[in-house]
Amino acid sequence: MTYFNFPHIEEDDNLKNLRNDVKSFLKTTFNSNNIKPQADAWMYSANPEFSKKLGEKGWLGMSFPKKYGGREKTMLERYVITEELLVAGAPVAAHWIADRQSGSQIIRYGTEKQKKEIIPKISSGECFFAIGMSEPDSGSDLASVKTFAKKTADGWELTGRKIWSTGAHLSHYMIVLARTEKLDEKNRHSGLSQFLVNLKLLGVEINPIEDMTHQKHFNETVFNNVKLNKDALLGEEGMGWQQVVGELALERSGPERFLSHYILLDNFISEFRYKMSEMGITSLGKIISELQTLRMMSFSIAWMIQEKKSPDVQAAFVKEAGNVFEKKLIETIREMSNLIPFEEWSSSLKSLFQDATLRIPANSLRGGTSEIMRGIISKQLGLR
Amino acid sequence: MKDEVKIILDICDKILLKNVDHHLRLSLEPNSTQFKTLKDEIISSELTKLLVKEDLGGAGMTLNDIIPIVQLSAQYGTPIPFIETIISNFLLSELNIKPENDFITLTNKTENIIIKKDKISGNFKSIPYLNLAEKILVETEIKNQKYIILFQKGGKLKLQKNFLSEPKFDLDAAELEIISMKEKPEQIDVQNLLINVRSIQSFGAMEKILKLCIEYCSQRKQFGRTLSKFQMIQNHISEIALEVAASGASLSTLKNNNKNFYNLKSTAIPKIRTGIASGKVIALSHQVHGAMGFTKEYELSYFTKALNSWRNEFGNEIYWQNILGKLFLNQNKNLWEFLNH
Repeated sequence: MTYFNFPHIEEDDNLKNLRNDVKSFLKTTFNSNNIKPQADAWMYSANPEFSKKLGEKGWLGMSFPKKYGGREKTMLERYVITEELLVAGAPVAAHWIADRQSGSQIIRYGTEKQKKEIIPKISSGECFFAIGMSEPDSGSDLASVKTFAKKTADGWELTGRKIWSTGAHLSHYMIVLARTEKLDEKNRHSGLSQFLVNLKLLGVEINPIEDMTHQKHFNETVFNNVKLNKDALLGEEGMGWQQVVGELALERSGPERFLSHYILLDNFISEFRYKMSEMGITSLGKIISELQTLRMMSFSIAWMIQEKKSPDVQAAFVKEAGNVFEKKLIETIREMSNLIPFEEWSSSLKSLFQDATLRIPANSLRGGTSEIMRGIISKQLGLR
Repeated sequence: MKDEVKIILDICDKILLKNVDHHLRLSLEPNSTQFKTLKDEIISSELTKLLVKEDLGGAGMTLNDIIPIVQLSAQYGTPIPFIETIISNFLLSELNIKPENDFITLTNKTENIIIKKDKISGNFKSIPYLNLAEKILVETEIKNQKYIILFQKGGKLKLQKNFLSEPKFDLDAAELEIISMKEKPEQIDVQNLLINVRSIQSFGAMEKILKLCIEYCSQRKQFGRTLSKFQMIQNHISEIALEVAASGASLSTLKNNNKNFYNLKSTAIPKIRTGIASGKVIALSHQVHGAMGFTKEYELSYFTKALNSWRNEFGNEIYWQNILGKLFLNQNKNLWEFLNH
C-alpha cells in the first residue's frame, strides 16, 4: 500500500570526502576572492568567474558523458556538491539552470552537434542558460503557451514572449517551449516543441523586471521573428510537453527548494547559540527534524534520477514540502529569538533576515506554484 | 528489500488479510474464536520470532528488516500484541534467552519493584494489550542497574482511560513468577527502540488513513459530483499525502545501521516528524470524511485514535523537539556538521 516511495540511500565515504573537498575549496576561494555568502544565492548571486572555477574543479556537468566534456560522475556526487554550495551561500546563479536542467535536456534529447557544441561549455562553467516556459498569459497553465515556431525553408521562425526568465540577461541560451502546431483544445499537450535559442540572435530582446526586493534577476524575453536553424529544435517536433515534464522533475527536486535560506539559520545559531530560550530550542529541534527529512527525500530523488526512474511526483513532494519548510523558517527564527529583540541582532544577520522575509513569497511560485504541486499529487492519487 | 523479507511480508499479509477487520477490532475478547484463530496462525507461523537469533530458533532478521512488517501490521490496524511480542522476543534473544510461544507485552514504566526469590512485585504502567498477553517483559532499574525481566501475567489489571484504540493497562503485581531476568546490555536502549516502533507504526497507520480518504472521496457524491472532484478536497488529501511521504522518509534515519534504533538523534527525527504529521493527518482526514469518520462503525477513527495515542507516548513531539535542539546545542558543532555526522 506504499504510495510514494523514497528509498533509503546511504552517503558513503566517497561522498563524505567529496563534501570535505568542496568545503575546503569554498573556504579558500571565498577568502582569496573576497566572496561574501548570500541567501538565495542560486537566484540572486551570479559570479561567472566563480562558475568557471567550479568548472575547472570538475564540479559542473558532473553526470554528463566524458566524450562531451562531462565527468561521468553520479547524481549523488552532484547532489553533495550542490548542497555544500547552497549552505555556503556560494554565488552559483550564473550556471545554475544550465547545470541543473538544461544540460541534462540536451544530453537526453539533443543531436550530436548540439551536445558537442554546448555540453563542454556548460561543464567548464562558461555557458549559461535561462528557462523559456512561462509567458504573460501562461503561468501555471503551461500548455497554453502562445510563442510560435513556424517552419521555414531554412529552419524555424520564432515569435512570442517569455516571462520570469531568471538570469536571461547573463545567459547564452534559453530552452524555449513553443507551439509548432495550432492549439488543439481537445489535446492541449500536443503540438509543442522545445528549441535551443541563442540569446544573441537578431530579434531577441531581453527586458529586466525589477522584483519587490528591487533586484533585477528576472526578465521578459521577446522573440521578434527570430530566425532559427533547423538544428535549433531540441528533441522531437511535437514532443515538447513530454520533454518539459522531465525537465521540471530536475527543476523541482533539488536541495535549493529547502536550503535557499540556510545561511540565515546558520548565522542566527552562531550568533545566539547560548541565548536561546527553551521555546527557541524547541523550535530549533523541530526545524532540524524537518530539514533532515527533506534532505533524505531529495537525496533519494537524486538516486532515482541516476537510476533512470521518473520521480516526477516525488519531485512535487520535495518542492511543496520545501516551500512550506522555508516559509516556516522565517516564523521559526522569530520563535527562536523570542527573548532576543531584533535591535540586538548584528547588522549582517538583520540583513539576511530581511532579505529572506522579502524573498520568501517567491518560493512557492517559482518552479511551479504550490497549487500546481498539489494538483500533480492529486492526479497521481487518482483524484483528478 | 531482501527476498526473505518479501516472503515474510507476503505470509504476514495473507494472515492479516484473512483475520483482521473492523469487526475484530470492535469486539476483541481473549476468549473469542476470532482472536484465538488469529493468535494460533501468528504463533504457528513463527512470525513472532523474526528477530530471534537463528541458534535460538528464530529467523535471525534485523531490526531494519522488520520495518515493512511493523508498517504492514499498522496498516491493518492489527489489534493484538503482535509487534509487542516480536520486540519482546528480540530483547530476550539479545540476552541469549529462548523465545516464548505465546503473546508477550512490554513496558519500561515501572515503580516500587521488589524482587524476592524468583518473584516480582511492583507497579507497572501503560502496558499495551495486557488483556491479550500471557507474559510481561519489563525494563526496570534496581540499585542503579537496569534489568530486563520476563514474568507471568497475574494480579489486578486496570484499564487506563486513553484514546481507546489500543487498550493499555496498569498493573499492581504482587509476587508474580519470574521466568527470566538478566542485566540489560549497555548498548540496548529499550525506550528508544519502543519509540521507533511507534514511529514506524504511525507511518503505517497514516498510509491506511490516506487510502481510506481516497476510497471514501472517490465513492461519496455531493452536489452531483464525487467528493474527489472538489479542489478543496484534493488539496486536503494531497496535504495528507505530503505528510505521509515525509513521515516515511524520516524513518531513513534508522535504516543504515540497526544501532540507530537506540541512537537519540536517529530516534528523535522520526519521532518529531511523524508526530507533526499525525496531528495534521488526523485533523484533515476527519474533515474529508465528514460525519461518517466520526462514527464507531467506520474504521477511520480506529486509526486516528491510535495515532493520537502513539504521538503522546514517551513524550510528545514538542518534548522531543526540545531534546533534539539541546542535543545539537550541547555538541558544540555547527548545524551542518551535526546534520551530517
